[in-house]
Amino acid sequence: MFFEASLRGKQYKVDITETRRAWKINLQEEDADWVKYEISKEDYKLVENAINLIFNGGSYLMDVFGSGIDYTVYTRSSVRNVTIFNDEALLHESLKKGGALGAADKLTAGMPGKIVKIMVGKGDVVAANQPILIMEAMKMENEMRASHETKIKDILVKPGDSVESGQTMITFEPVSKKS
Amino acid sequence: MFKKILIANRGEIALRVIRAARDLGIASVAVYSDADRNSLHVVLADEAYNIGPAPSKESYLNVDNIIAAVKKSGADAVHPGYGFLSENAAFAEALQKEGIVFIGPTPANIRAMGDKLSAIKLMREADVPTTPGSGGPVDTIEEAKKVIAKIGLPIIIKATAGGGGKGMRVVTKAEDLESAFRAAKSEGMNYFKNDTVYIERYVQNPKHIEVQVFGDTHGNVCHLFERECSIQRRHQKIIEESPSPSVTPEIRARLGEVSVRAAKAINYIGAGTFEFIFDNVTKEFYFMEMNTRLQVEHPITEMVTGIDLVQEQIMVALGKPLSFKQSDVVQRGHAIEARICAEDPETFMPSPGLIRRCRHPQGPFIRVDSYAYPGYEVPIYYDPMIAKLIAYGPNRDTAIRRLDRALTEFTLTGIKTNIVLHKSILQAPKFLDGSYTTQFCEKDLQIKMPKLFQVVDDHVFLIAAAIAAYNEKKTKAVSEYNVASRWKDQARKEGLR
Repeated sequence: MFFEASLRGKQYKVDITETRRAWKINLQEEDADWVKYEISKEDYKLVENAINLIFNGGSYLMDVFGSGIDYTVYTRSSVRNVTIFNDEALLHESLKKGGALGAADKLTAGMPGKIVKIMVGKGDVVAANQPILIMEAMKMENEMRASHETKIKDILVKPGDSVESGQTMITFEPVSKKS
Repeated sequence: MFKKILIANRGEIALRVIRAARDLGIASVAVYSDADRNSLHVVLADEAYNIGPAPSKESYLNVDNIIAAVKKSGADAVHPGYGFLSENAAFAEALQKEGIVFIGPTPANIRAMGDKLSAIKLMREADVPTTPGSGGPVDTIEEAKKVIAKIGLPIIIKATAGGGGKGMRVVTKAEDLESAFRAAKSEGMNYFKNDTVYIERYVQNPKHIEVQVFGDTHGNVCHLFERECSIQRRHQKIIEESPSPSVTPEIRARLGEVSVRAAKAINYIGAGTFEFIFDNVTKEFYFMEMNTRLQVEHPITEMVTGIDLVQEQIMVALGKPLSFKQSDVVQRGHAIEARICAEDPETFMPSPGLIRRCRHPQGPFIRVDSYAYPGYEVPIYYDPMIAKLIAYGPNRDTAIRRLDRALTEFTLTGIKTNIVLHKSILQAPKFLDGSYTTQFCEKDLQIKMPKLFQVVDDHVFLIAAAIAAYNEKKTKAVSEYNVASRWKDQARKEGLR
């Protein structure tokens, strides 16, 4: 099976084959040579939904969760987010990118929390880095700022609201150039 | 002896108090908010009562609801833990009125130290060193020069209304005074509409050193030596150790003597901590504030002195004299504590959520005070600290190595934690040689951070994620195939008969 993956801003091609005895995984980092790994099924055990992996002489208990394209991987007190695209997901992403603002057409909550303050109004044009709203999570107030110049299309939350992780709070639309 | 103690707190400190009570044969009562029904203190206590909705204001800070739970449970004493109502004089008084013992200092003690400025005034009167300075507004350059003649350089000019680094100027050379004085004044006016400034000695290489004290109702006061808590992020301590690598035996003796004098000056009862700012260049220390409660980092003092501080608090609240004399208190070996928080180790952003896997470290000379367990959802409403990891050793190097070993064993997944940050700190030269200051996290660590956090090769993560994605895709393909071709399957089965 063939995937494209991204990790910490780097793009990889991944070719994975499962046989009865082993996993064969080839990795290619952008502009680098393919690196080939073969992991014996003896070195790959599942325990309580985690992967108990022996790899390149190292022993790792890997907790992987996620589905679709987003995976979170924990091991040895480190955590990484890995995005994995297969052909179907790649097509989906390219369709989304065709839109005017791509992924940044809305502001979503990165974690569950409570809205403390909203500094913009519907229809406002905000400059890059301008504060949009303040959200409180775990006794800490986090100010969210605009990543680029944009116009507030709609505000879907109000101060005092509790929001869930991933919930859309504000939608944007491109700034019309005629004014 | 008390029959039943109610713990007006949550998290690891509630567990700590439950354990002390159980050691003494006292029953424990937990209180919990709606968000904490599944929290470990509820599970481990003998009894548990709901005290309201998730936000602290409506539950853990709600005096009426807590007192109602005390009455319902028939508890004869309340331990407040730290934070929440632990330094609330009105709460202590309200309990007194109901005939319930507050396990902590007197309301007068709490009030005396509650207001920073009046606390500093009280301490000055008790001959406790406070940061030298103008002691009031400085209006002209001439006055500023007089202050410098008295306290010397470097100094810091601060706008009385200032904050967040605005309206503050450090002066290290006399010729810079005029421009710095004007700048502080005009920033004060521009940002805070108040150009009043005052002058303090600027503490170079500041360290946070604190002294544990204990008083009883019989007039005895002892100190339990110092802790250094200079490793901080966002002004919150994350690593503490005892003894401090920067404190010499002479300074240690003075710190203890000064703290006992200070506690006696206010007739202090129970466990308390005097916090000092320590100048690692001049080795002078100045009183900052007193915490009239048990501290988060009390375990390191317990490790080096062998004294159970929570048990001692309970005995003092019963009116018993301290179980030790000053000459009995010995600082033996070295202890370090790392606060494990549910937060991103690089940005320090909180990371609440569901804990998937949790395996606590074990083995010799390790203590874990934690309320984490697999399947527990860390709520968004409270402090992100979920565990304290404490290592003990006969000397500092051994304690550091054991802490590092325990951090390696600590598995917590599903949420982000600062465990790798701790592992990085333990490798930093400034931490290892003990010269670190309160600016350590901003100045000495951040430069190297991206590399420090790369303990595992990226290919390992990629492979694990690729296998998971492959397995998911494969399962999906199989199930789709099954739905689409049930007729075919049936035909095959028929054919096999």
